This record gives sequence, structure tokens and C-alpha cells, in this order.
Amino acid sequence: MKPFDFLADDALVDALLMEAADLLQNLTAHQQQGRIDLLGLPLSPACLASLEARLGQGEVTATLRAAGQSVIRETAFPGLWWTRHEDEAGRVVGLLIEVTEVPDILRASKPDMEHGHRRLLAASHFSVAG
Amino acid sequence: MSARDENLGEMLARRGFSRRALLKFSIAMTSSLALPPGLAPAMAENLAQARRQSVIWLSFQECTGCLETLLRSASPTIASLIFDFISLDYQESLMAAAGGAAELTLRQAVAANKGKYLLAIDGSVPVADGGVYSLTGGKSNVSMLQEFAPDAAAILAIGSCAAYGGIPKAYPNPTGAVGVEDVIANKPIVNIPGCPPIPEVLSGVLVYFVSFGKLPELDDKKRPLAYFGTTIHDQCYRRPFYDQGKFAKSFDDEGARQGWCLFELGCKGPTTHNACASVKWNENTSFPIESGHGCLGCSEPDFWDAPGGFYTSLAGADGPGWEAAGIAAAAGVALGAAAAFRARRK
Repeated sequence: MKPFDFLADDALVDALLMEAADLLQNLTAHQQQGRIDLLGLPLSPACLASLEARLGQGEVTATLRAAGQSVIRETAFPGLWWTRHEDEAGRVVGLLIEVTEVPDILRASKPDMEHGHRRLLAASHFSVAG
Repeated sequence: MSARDENLGEMLARRGFSRRALLKFSIAMTSSLALPPGLAPAMAENLAQARRQSVIWLSFQECTGCLETLLRSASPTIASLIFDFISLDYQESLMAAAGGAAELTLRQAVAANKGKYLLAIDGSVPVADGGVYSLTGGKSNVSMLQEFAPDAAAILAIGSCAAYGGIPKAYPNPTGAVGVEDVIANKPIVNIPGCPPIPEVLSGVLVYFVSFGKLPELDDKKRPLAYFGTTIHDQCYRRPFYDQGKFAKSFDDEGARQGWCLFELGCKGPTTHNACASVKWNENTSFPIESGHGCLGCSEPDFWDAPGGFYTSLAGADGPGWEAAGIAAAAGVALGAAAAFRARRK
């Protein structure tokens, strides 16, 4: 049985696409990032699948392994990203449309880079000494 | 730098979690707390800079089930590390100290964190006969609550006993058990009911408090609205069967085997507000209805004394109200199905 099929509502998907279009215009005109939290919306699996299909696939797909797996995928519309976060148990804990040049989570943070720099120096020292 | 002096970002880095992991956790928390998703980066930054939050935990008339559920975690998630990060300055069941040393620790923690500590309470407060039915170090629970509440930043009433009196308050209530809010006024109180409460709800409240320095939005029973804003029924994956009028009539009939709605078997999901159906239990494994038993309504006040008992339908012994079911089907199907979808997501 698929009790939610009757909710595959193109009108909902159209409304979300219009919101995404508004956010994309904000990004291009005002450099203002936007996000749509899809987990917080009353969307059936059929609606989500329809939305994902209509947004399509772009040029970039990134896989992140940090406290569980995440897939950050550019849609067919540059600036719109389909972001899916899972926790360590594989449960979906975040599902977003991000409207930005590059999603924040892909950027290396300064503390992580500083930590990496220290590790790199230590590794270099070790290899020289060894 | 000692581990006690480090901030949360430093502690997580020491445990092998990157800032990306913290941002991802914040994205999940903003969704869980129904906050605008744009707040996630700010939450992550605030959490990274956060210093240890002092928590003083007093156990009153309770079974230790609340503490047990909060301590159980199968994997070192960031959410579980939030519990590691807080400075649990006093908890009788966990601390090594006992007797006078424990009492001294409590006094020192209160003095050092005056006005800043969170006072966590599990268990009801017996007030009959001067509160003699539950004592710690010769002091009654009610006197301890009255002594330590004024200097707390806020009170977390953890579990249905602390929130509303719970099972100790059930008829005939020989100890005069009440909830924290029946004793303390003029102090922010968050009720996190449940028997036991859901650990993720407590971590959500702690994360919100540590991130933004205030308590999340509450409902009229002082419960975090993000977790208690909808009923179990509206989130239940069996909700479509309710809408279709398909009910199990006994625990071993064909309807039960088909996973139909448990309304006629006494499920209290329609009147119970909690996050069991979406957050679930045991690492998102299941919740009572998914295991084949109706909701007992344990996060609602006075659930133990609810008319009719656990196995009587909310519509009475004659079965469900079909008219009500029809109205619910018409008005609530979108919300119910969507919430059920959220409950099902893997």
C-alpha cells in the first residue's frame, strides 16, 4: 500500500519552485543566500520525488562524510543546491534546497584549516626526521 | 588548556568532529526545533564558542528511568556529546562523592554559578506532611527545590513526574505528589514530559539554550513547542488507516497483523502531544505504536488516572467516533500524512 500517493500535488511543487526562483533572484540581485527546509514542510514522498526530478541534475555532486553522510548536489539551475544530510545511523536529519554560490558546508573552516596545518607540519617533521 | 576550560568547538575537534560536522548538526537542530534554516550557521558558531553550561540535577520522587534513558546512547553522536559537554555539577546517582562531600559539591556549584545554572529535576515533589516522604541528606525535596530554584537561570522539569506529578501523583496520591510548577512560581520552567522523556528533546532544549541564551518557545503546558506542537496521532505512520476506518479490534487479529490503526485498542495518540512518532526511540528504531501497542499518553498531565484506562478507546467502549474520524480525514489528512512521512523518513 502507498497511502500518500494521492498527495503528489504538482501545485505544491510549483509553489516551491516559485519560492526557489524568488530566492535565486535575491541571490543574483542582492547576494543574499536562501534556504528551504524541506523536512519542515508537509510534503509526501511523491511530492519530494517530483520536486527533485523537476530540479534536475547540475554539474556538481559532492559527498561529505562528517557525522554521517551528506550529498550536496547542484541542480540543473546553477545556484540551487539539493542537500541531503544523514546522521551516523543513516537517518535523514536535513533536507534542504540551498540557494547560494557554494553551500557553506563545503567550505573548509578556519579552525579546521588551522588544525590541519598543525597536523601537516607534524607529519612533515616526522617524515624529515624519519 | 584543561578539558574543563575548552569551548565546545575545541572539545569536538579533540574528539575528531570537524566544523562541518558541527554545521551539519546545527542544520539538523534548526530543522528539529522548527527554526529558520538560515540560523544554522549562527547556531554552529555560537555552539563552537560556547563554554560549559552548569547543570545541577536533583532527583526527587522518581524511578531513575528518566536518567537511564538520557544516559543511553549507542554511538558518540554530537547530540550525545552535548551531554558530555555540559558541566553536570551535581547528580546523586552519577557522582562519585557521597554524604557530606556531595552536599559540599552542591553548595559550591550553586555558589560558583549563581544565576547561571540550569536546575534539572526528575521526579515529583511530595508535599504532604511537610514533604517527609522523600528526603535527601535529611532535607525534603520541596525544601531543596525552594532553596535552589531562586538562583537558577531556568528549571528543566524532566519526565512526567517532575512536570506534572506523574505516577506518584496517581490516585490516591498518598505523598501529595505534585510537579515542579506547582511549587515554584516566577522562574522560567521547561517541562519535558514523558515516561521516560525523549533524550533528543532534552538535547534540543540544551542546544537552544547554549546557542541563544534563552529557552525555546513553549506551549501552554510549558513544553517545547517544536517537539510537542502536534499529537502522536498526527505524526503516526498508521494515521492513513484511521482515515480509512481500518482498525485492529484485538492485539492478534488480522487488522493488528496488517498494522492497522490501534485507536479501538485504546491508543491515546489523538490526545497526546510528543515527538515519539517522529524522533522515535533507541537510535530511531521504533516507538510503541510501531511495536504494536497503542500510545499510553504518558506525556500528558495525569495520564495514569485518565478515564477508562489504557485499553479503552478514546471514543468509549463502543469504538471510535466515526463522525469524528470522517472530519479528521477531511481536515487533517494533509498534516497527518506529511507528519507521518516525517516519522517514516530514514
